[in-house]
Amino acid sequence: MRAVRFHGRGGQGAKTASRILGTAAFLEGFVAQDSPMYGPERRGAPVAAFTRIAQTPIRERGVIVHPDLVVIADASLMQDPAAHVPEGVDERTVVFVNSPLTAEQLQSQTSLPGRFTTLDLTGIALQQLGKRTAISALLGAVAGSLIGLGQESIREAIARELAELGLAAPMIERNQTVAAQCYETVPRVAIDVGLRRPTAPVPLRTPTYDPPTRGAASITAGPNSAIRSMAGWRTFRPVLRPDLCNGCWLCFANCPEGAITIKPDGKPAIYYPHCKGCLDCVEVCPTDALTVERETAATREA
Amino acid sequence: MTWQRETFKKIKQIPREEHVLPGTALCAGCGGLEALRLAAKVLGDDVVYVNAAGCFTMLAAYPFTPFKGSWLYTTMGSAPAGAQGVRDALDVLIAKGRLSKEEDLKVVVLGGDGSTYDMALSSTSGAITRKLDFYYFCYDNEAYGNTGMQLSPATPYGARTTTSPCSLQHPSGTTQEKKDIFEIWRAHKPPYIATVAPRYPLDLEEKFARASKFTGPKLFLALSACPTGWLYDPGETPEVAKLAVETGLWPLKEAINGVITHTYIPKRKPVEEYLKLQGRFRHLFEPTRQDEAIRHIQARVDDYWKQVNV
Repeated sequence: MRAVRFHGRGGQGAKTASRILGTAAFLEGFVAQDSPMYGPERRGAPVAAFTRIAQTPIRERGVIVHPDLVVIADASLMQDPAAHVPEGVDERTVVFVNSPLTAEQLQSQTSLPGRFTTLDLTGIALQQLGKRTAISALLGAVAGSLIGLGQESIREAIARELAELGLAAPMIERNQTVAAQCYETVPRVAIDVGLRRPTAPVPLRTPTYDPPTRGAASITAGPNSAIRSMAGWRTFRPVLRPDLCNGCWLCFANCPEGAITIKPDGKPAIYYPHCKGCLDCVEVCPTDALTVERETAATREA
Repeated sequence: MTWQRETFKKIKQIPREEHVLPGTALCAGCGGLEALRLAAKVLGDDVVYVNAAGCFTMLAAYPFTPFKGSWLYTTMGSAPAGAQGVRDALDVLIAKGRLSKEEDLKVVVLGGDGSTYDMALSSTSGAITRKLDFYYFCYDNEAYGNTGMQLSPATPYGARTTTSPCSLQHPSGTTQEKKDIFEIWRAHKPPYIATVAPRYPLDLEEKFARASKFTGPKLFLALSACPTGWLYDPGETPEVAKLAVETGLWPLKEAINGVITHTYIPKRKPVEEYLKLQGRFRHLFEPTRQDEAIRHIQARVDDYWKQVNV
């Protein structure tokens, strides 16, 4: 059995990618199972999806804790403890990351074991599909390529799954073309075939109970949500060019987060740790003083 | 006579201070959060929020809260009942002298359309009848959003939801018409009701400022353009909210003691422009255009404005 785990941010297409992979495997005559994580599936929040592929009926259910392949749609998830990316990843796991960095560069930056491979899917999607959009077809194709599925079945699976989402035929075709390109170009890494991971028995531990007073909520706490950084949610960031700003306040009035403040001189300023990257401000700016830039690991930390 | 804003005439009169802090787990580009953020600029910090289960549950997800005031969480059907309890408690404390009048708090119910139009309808009706002094803020994204966009009574004709998909039997998706909760509320004759939309910040601020002069139920319907459920790019939230108003689909109006005034008269662009932006209406245009369904939606809007008689 091959177990593939997808990590993405809500809206990136991790769930659809898992379906494309499952459907492609099914079309080739395999038994396939795919399911998304159930949880707060909102835009920008970490989500996961799972695909199992086998020649015999699959008895295993639920989340995949020992993946053969992990597909990471957004590199920032590797630092997000809520995403649980490292779970069950060992030196034999193949880890694909959507990143402009090379596998070596990435490996040197992370403590995550595994055999890395990368491709800049977001860059390709921007270039070839023209706008920021879900990259489910590309993720599915890359996963299919790494797991060893045929290009034709991936193509057909993309058509089926994207049609189900209501995408128009020309858009599906463009996705198929770009996906085929990704299928070809992603650096392949061998996945151990036939090696079964030894299943170690998990010892049952008696839980220890704390008295209810310990760790109970301090319900009188003040407003503290602002200490959280939303930087990891962004794929793109709005950038303000002060020379073009006419100080109209529309961006300030239309930011759902309150991430844009007005400075004493009456001009706006973006506080990036609070910006989720929705780009509503860019949409309402009448003077094009706000532009869109792609987020990188370096800019996200700044 | 056209409606005039008195307090909020210019965009620079919008208070700079934030009362709903950032860092919530609500979706990027949430129109409901935008409307609440603007409303809170008028409501201030001396507020007890009574939150019906829904997307806004994520506002104060433990251990974080974006509010300086209190937040009470209730079931979907009982937020106005919760508000009654909070209001009564405050009144009793003030009557006993344990709380000074200056320390009084506003009670604000936050409910989604699933709660407002559906589950909490009887609870709201009871609260209005009892003349409960509270605000009701409904963020209407026209479906049960937090659970993954299922049909609600607020879903308009022609929208696709997960439980009203585009199918052979029902090519238009949703076959029902959106429930007119404004008129249901108005039948109770509360002192103040208004509809607001996030792309019209001054209209929104003005209405909350006006409502503050009334004692009793003050009810708001906020268009909550929803990138996740309506299937459009989060950056288009302002445009979607704007077109909802400009096409006449989301009339901006208020009703004081039951008397309606339209606060903005749109030039009424064709509804198509609004529908085309959103994935939930895509099946009306692709693969085959469903002219009849589009005409139906347009006719409903035309009929509405004909009876408005402006």
